[in-house]
Amino acid sequence: MNIENTQSQMRKGILEFCILSVIRRGEAYPSDIVEEMKGANLNIFEGTLYPLLTRLKNADMLTYRWVESNSGPPRKYFSLTDKGKAFYDELEATWIELANAVNTLAKKTDSMPDTTNQNPSF
Amino acid sequence: MKKIININFQGRVIPIEETAYDTLKQYVESLRRYFSNEDGRDEIINDIESRIAELFSERLKRGTACITDDDVSAVIASIGRPQDFEEQDGGPEGASGTNYQNAQQQAAAGPASYSNVGRGRLYRNADDKIVGGVCSGLANYLGIDPVIMRILFVILIGALFWIYILLWIIVPSQSLQTNITKRLYRNPDDKVIAGVCGGLASYFNLERWVPRLVFALPLIIGLISTSMNAIWWNWDFGFAPRIITGSLGSTLFITYIILWIAVPYASTASEKLEMRGEKVDLNSIRDTVKVDLENFKSKTEKWGQEVKQTAQQFGTNAAAFGQAAGQHAKSFATEAAPIARRAGSGVGNVIGILFKAFFLFIAGIIALSLFGVLIALLFGGMATFPLKNFVLEGTGQNLLGWGTLILFLGVPLVALITWLIRRIMGVRSGNHYLGYIFSTLWVIGLLCCIFLIATFSSNFKTRIPVEDQVNILQPASNKLIVGVKNSHLEYYHGDWFGLRFNDELPIYGMNMDTLMLNTISVKVYKSKDSSYHLTRVRLGRGNNREAARSTAEKIQFNIEQKDSLILLPEGFPISTGDKFRNQQVLIAIDVPVGKRIVIEDAVNRYSWFDVNVNNRRGWNIEFNDYRDDSYSWNGNTEYIMTPDGLKKVKDLDQVELKKGHFKLLIDESNGKIELEGDGEGENKNDKYHYRYKQIEDSIKEKAKDKLRDEIRLKDSIEREKKLKEVIKSTTQNKDRTNEGTEDETLSGSHLFSPVLCFVQI
Repeated sequence: MNIENTQSQMRKGILEFCILSVIRRGEAYPSDIVEEMKGANLNIFEGTLYPLLTRLKNADMLTYRWVESNSGPPRKYFSLTDKGKAFYDELEATWIELANAVNTLAKKTDSMPDTTNQNPSF
Repeated sequence: MKKIININFQGRVIPIEETAYDTLKQYVESLRRYFSNEDGRDEIINDIESRIAELFSERLKRGTACITDDDVSAVIASIGRPQDFEEQDGGPEGASGTNYQNAQQQAAAGPASYSNVGRGRLYRNADDKIVGGVCSGLANYLGIDPVIMRILFVILIGALFWIYILLWIIVPSQSLQTNITKRLYRNPDDKVIAGVCGGLASYFNLERWVPRLVFALPLIIGLISTSMNAIWWNWDFGFAPRIITGSLGSTLFITYIILWIAVPYASTASEKLEMRGEKVDLNSIRDTVKVDLENFKSKTEKWGQEVKQTAQQFGTNAAAFGQAAGQHAKSFATEAAPIARRAGSGVGNVIGILFKAFFLFIAGIIALSLFGVLIALLFGGMATFPLKNFVLEGTGQNLLGWGTLILFLGVPLVALITWLIRRIMGVRSGNHYLGYIFSTLWVIGLLCCIFLIATFSSNFKTRIPVEDQVNILQPASNKLIVGVKNSHLEYYHGDWFGLRFNDELPIYGMNMDTLMLNTISVKVYKSKDSSYHLTRVRLGRGNNREAARSTAEKIQFNIEQKDSLILLPEGFPISTGDKFRNQQVLIAIDVPVGKRIVIEDAVNRYSWFDVNVNNRRGWNIEFNDYRDDSYSWNGNTEYIMTPDGLKKVKDLDQVELKKGHFKLLIDESNGKIELEGDGEGENKNDKYHYRYKQIEDSIKEKAKDKLRDEIRLKDSIEREKKLKEVIKSTTQNKDRTNEGTEDETLSGSHLFSPVLCFVQI
């Protein structure tokens, strides 16, 4: 166990939710998704995004259409399917629950010694 | 100064620096590996490639002439490297958050994030582990019992393992920048087989032909030795070169294979740079060693002090050590990850290389032996130069012959040597003229060879026999002896420039203008009248009937007679004018029934010799190397002609023979021959004969026993009757003339007839 691992585990859990929430607002091109997430101070590599999109697409959560581009090969624009929308709603509910729970707990431990940030190896 | 290449990337032509291209290729490859267990791998890679192409296009649109290293780096930074994905995606423990030293490792890195755990990928087994689950994982990967794997691991790796542990404890730990600026790679730009020699040359700053020559030396010495052997038979280098070609050769071969497997291929630009690297000289080596030794010394001193600490201190030390070990283990795991990653394909690689090496080895042996054969043919051809005078006819064929020899056989030899030398010296020809010239010359040689064979074989098209009766005086003793007279022709027997004519060849001697052939066949037939006849048939081959006839008629084969002795020549000569046209001589001896013939052992020296005991059915000459197996002919033995063919005199009933009456003699021998078996039972067929004897004896015994019983019970008259009945009941082909005989042996021999039938079935 180390800090990077825990952090990455935390990020990984919400990654799909974040991507879906960007796409929910309308058709999106992967690099736009990256930009938007960057804007929200959530850095993600495109190399991480593409497999996730493919996986979601293969699970029928997403669909895409080809759009001709003047600066390169045709682009894939992704959008949510009905199944994806349902999936997103569930995730959203879970996230709200989780955020509340975590916030509640984090507030409670405010006065106590901070242990969460400590590297377990030391 | 950098080379720019155009690549077709996602359907677009993109100008890119070669080094940048290498990096890009490496990067895409690393992605491919990373996503190797992903379902939509191709799609993901395709998407990413599209994105890269798009980014490149944007850059080119902004007016950049080509994609540079920096551009590629920027793109890679934006897309992310596989280990970056791990952090975001969350890879397995112990494999993430590491410092990678170079792109190569990055490319190889990347534990599976989403793949199914199990076979197909090497994992350390988290559930079944003793130290790190390595053995268990390996066993799972290879599908064997982990216990066996562990035992093997301990046995095989034991020693190295302990050395590693020891070094692990002793050697201080620090984050290291790679201080080796020059590494050993196989050189893809300068390779003959696998680039091992090229890599060695650039590593040691040698001329590139030096390592190549070292590795090729045994081969070259072998080649020279072979050619020398071909020219001077029994040529020998003596002791030293045997060592070089033998043990040294195989050692170098194995060394080459090991280097091939162990040394990485410098496929990227950075690796190539690393391969050439800094100049490795004695000073830098000495400095490095010095520094290392000092470090080592201080470390051991420090460690020694630590060991001397109190129990408490020792405890804290141990804790620190444990912690350090934990870190070691972790960093070791991260180091091992790419290696393990490689190991998966590494096993396949090793097998592949071994296969390659094996085939190269086989191909090398074949090439070498072909080379030897070529040399032998070339020089052997020169050695048999006089022989060609007997074979080839006219200027045309001679020219074709030389063309075949020099162009068809010689050119590949010269080409091979040239190629070898050029490869070793690293000369690359800018043009292909040499190749064209060699090929053209060889094709001409091939045509020469084909035409030669065509014209040559047409000379053997027709065969004509020339038959003539040799008048002989009928021997007074009713016995004809066939012998061989010694030839007075001078010829070199045995060695002739290393060529040895032994009994296997139809040629048994030759000199510069005479070739001695002994393609002579002697056949013995049953005469149609009461006198001996001798027929000489000379056979020759030629382009047409006339040529064949004249060839046959030119054969000098004079038969002499001295009383009952017929002397045949040892062979017959062919002069260079006559040419070799597969001349053959057939001597047919007709022996009248009741008369005898002795053929001396010397006749056996002829290439073909057989005895035809059947009636004459035209001439036939067949090459029969194994006559001794199929014909039970004994030399220097007296044979007698019977109506059923030749029989050994000693096999016949001497008493009956001596009675002298011709008719009686035949009758008796007739009966005897039937007993002896079907015509070829000359006591030679031991197996048959033995079995035959056994059955004969047992039946005789039974008959005797029966007879004795009869004698005991009946009086002499009844006994006579009984005997006849017994004979009747056991004999099918009863001989009427012997019916009344009381002789037990005789009746035994009659009893034996049905058994003969049985044996024949």
